[in-house]
Amino acid sequence: MPDMQPLISDFVLKLKRRKVEGSHAVARQTAELLRSVVSQHRMGSTNQAAALADAIHAVGEHLIAANPIELAVGNTVRRVLHIIKEEDISFTAVGIEGLSVTAVSDDECDSGNDDRPTLSAAVLASHARNALRAPSLQTLLDDIPVSTALSHSSSSAGDSDGKSKYTGDKSLKTRKLKHDVIAAIGDLIEEIDTCYDQISEQAVEHIHQNEVILTLGRSRTVKEFLYAAKEKKRSFRVFVAEGAPRYQGHALAKELVEKGIQTTVITDSAVFAMISRVNMVIVGVHAIMANGGVIAPVGMNMVALAAQRHAVPFVVVAGSHKLCPLYPHNPEVLLNELKSPSDLLDFGEFSNCMNFSTQDGTPLLNVANPTFDYVPPKLVSLFITDTGGHSPSYMYRLISEYYSADDLVVRRKSTS
Amino acid sequence: MQFDDVHRVEKAKKRAIVNQSEARNRVELFRHLPQYVHGTQLPDLESKFFQLEPIHPSVYKVGLQYLSGEVSGGNGRCIAMLLAFREAIKDYSTPPNKTLSRDLTAKVSSYVSFFIECRPLSISMGNAIRFLKNRIAKLPITLSESEAKASLQSDIDRFINEKIVVADQVIVSHAITKVRDDDVLLTYGSSSVVEMILEHAHELGRKFRVIVVDSRPKLEGQGLLRRLVAKGINCTYTHINAVSYIMHEVTRVFLGASSILSNGTVYSRVGTASVAMVAHAFGIPVLVCCEAYKFHERVQLDSICANELGDPDVISKIPGRADLGDLKNWADNENLQLLNLTYDATPSDYVSMIITDYGMVRYS
Repeated sequence: MPDMQPLISDFVLKLKRRKVEGSHAVARQTAELLRSVVSQHRMGSTNQAAALADAIHAVGEHLIAANPIELAVGNTVRRVLHIIKEEDISFTAVGIEGLSVTAVSDDECDSGNDDRPTLSAAVLASHARNALRAPSLQTLLDDIPVSTALSHSSSSAGDSDGKSKYTGDKSLKTRKLKHDVIAAIGDLIEEIDTCYDQISEQAVEHIHQNEVILTLGRSRTVKEFLYAAKEKKRSFRVFVAEGAPRYQGHALAKELVEKGIQTTVITDSAVFAMISRVNMVIVGVHAIMANGGVIAPVGMNMVALAAQRHAVPFVVVAGSHKLCPLYPHNPEVLLNELKSPSDLLDFGEFSNCMNFSTQDGTPLLNVANPTFDYVPPKLVSLFITDTGGHSPSYMYRLISEYYSADDLVVRRKSTS
Repeated sequence: MQFDDVHRVEKAKKRAIVNQSEARNRVELFRHLPQYVHGTQLPDLESKFFQLEPIHPSVYKVGLQYLSGEVSGGNGRCIAMLLAFREAIKDYSTPPNKTLSRDLTAKVSSYVSFFIECRPLSISMGNAIRFLKNRIAKLPITLSESEAKASLQSDIDRFINEKIVVADQVIVSHAITKVRDDDVLLTYGSSSVVEMILEHAHELGRKFRVIVVDSRPKLEGQGLLRRLVAKGINCTYTHINAVSYIMHEVTRVFLGASSILSNGTVYSRVGTASVAMVAHAFGIPVLVCCEAYKFHERVQLDSICANELGDPDVISKIPGRADLGDLKNWADNENLQLLNLTYDATPSDYVSMIITDYGMVRYS
């Protein structure tokens, strides 16, 4: 796809330079780019789904490498791969069930193909559905590569009377698969866009009258959530912790006040002091990991611990594009970004301290300015996503619905 | 004083020397604490400098230092106050037909109410004032005025020496045993005792490094950082939100305190509770260093019943970040309040040990 290259490189550059920020924008742009990749892709005659998936793997690998911390990129790539698998399976299952009538009458011709495994259509279809789920004992014991079995069965069925009709179906199938995948990606984009509305609808269930809510920093999901509750005439007050060093809490406070919500801005150090008078903590996060833990703006772990101490529910609101199938290993280091010390210390004021060093050359003054914090699943009370409210132990189920297990590592398969 | 009772506030205003105007947009939860508009008192007081006969000039000077924030920290404020009283006592002369003890006590009370108007008393100051009034009351009647004054001055010197200076040295000698080689020590804000401990340990040649955690709006940690780096101690600087990130490397946490209350709660700079909580969650020992004269028999469960409200304007202004002007004119909007707490109460179960001049006390 030579004409896609400039678009892909452009997006990779934007990711590398952090020009596009925020999970929502990133997920949306990634999905749109992958949709264009799919529509530009030339479908071969055999194994279309695998080839298409391979193309997505190749593009996805570059995108993820551009900004590994921005997990929404990987999430969207894996969603698209899952969509391709799903569309292929459901299409072939329909095709197989349709062909099973003709296959029965051609058993005499097929007897010559004993070396190939001949499977009944129903078994094939059930195999295909199992492939979408996480590996279970049943699928592990029947270790037949499903895609090859499917292609063999479709080619063996093509040796019969319905051959001419089938080749006609094949080109129809090519176009239909691509069309289905593009339509499904369009649905995904719409899902990403409407996640705020679907989450905000649930606001009334959680916020009653005279509530005191605490939040840290600024999250658009939380903002929409609180707006929706205010629309429904619930009375509540909000404490916003400013969220150093970006101080986005100030912006959120200004936005909330414009809608007439009673807001108090506090410093991050006062969170423990104020949380005893708070009914609920509602926060937005950067990503939700497979174990139910969250990657959140720095300072969130402190808030979660304080909430646990005072038995205040810690509610995380996030769209499903933030759901990541990876397990967080050493997230403080591997899923974190350290930013410039100038946010904390003024270079001019501390320039005389920066020059000091010990005999072995190590500088005397270090500054740590991490962007993200990891909150373990036991500190989170509830996740509110566009599919409803879930507990942290349920997140693995959502992941198995949205992603397939083979796509955890996005890498271009070696071309044979 | 009950600041949410309107009549009492009116009465106090009439007696007041400093003209305070109550702030707009007060947080409901803190109506029981005074909140005045900052920035207006200092010029007002300065203009009255030559008119205030009853207030001794050194007392006046210390009051201005409190208002401007030049003198801060429990020990610093207490010492400044006691030295001001010492000067005032030196220049004091009993008016005719009055006993020294009663008149001097009344004078001290008037100075104290002046200090309160400048900035609410810290617990260390409260204890020192009680000590002084006690000494004045216990003066034998047979003493002449000059003898009484000399005795009081030496009492003040002794208090400062015994309870603060020597106490700090004892605490440092105790705490030094807790600093081993290859330790990574975390401290929050700027505590005079903790600074002494770190400097002494460095002089003794222990190899350790320090993590200074700081927070808005006071950013006291920057001063401590500068002094430690000047001494050649290896330091890391971070802000309070990153405390979970940095706590992996830490071996010990040293904290200072404004006071230790009767139920074991540590009353200290706001943010101390969060640091102690995260350290406790990571299983890291928290050592609080506090002189014995700061202890108080009061009990407190949370940080709301008794606290000090600082200037809310400093929250809206972020030094060095002129682009963040979202909260300009915050006072115009009645839905928006800014809260600047000064102290918070750390529950006793987060603290592993208190180091005082009477020894080291483990919490059970």
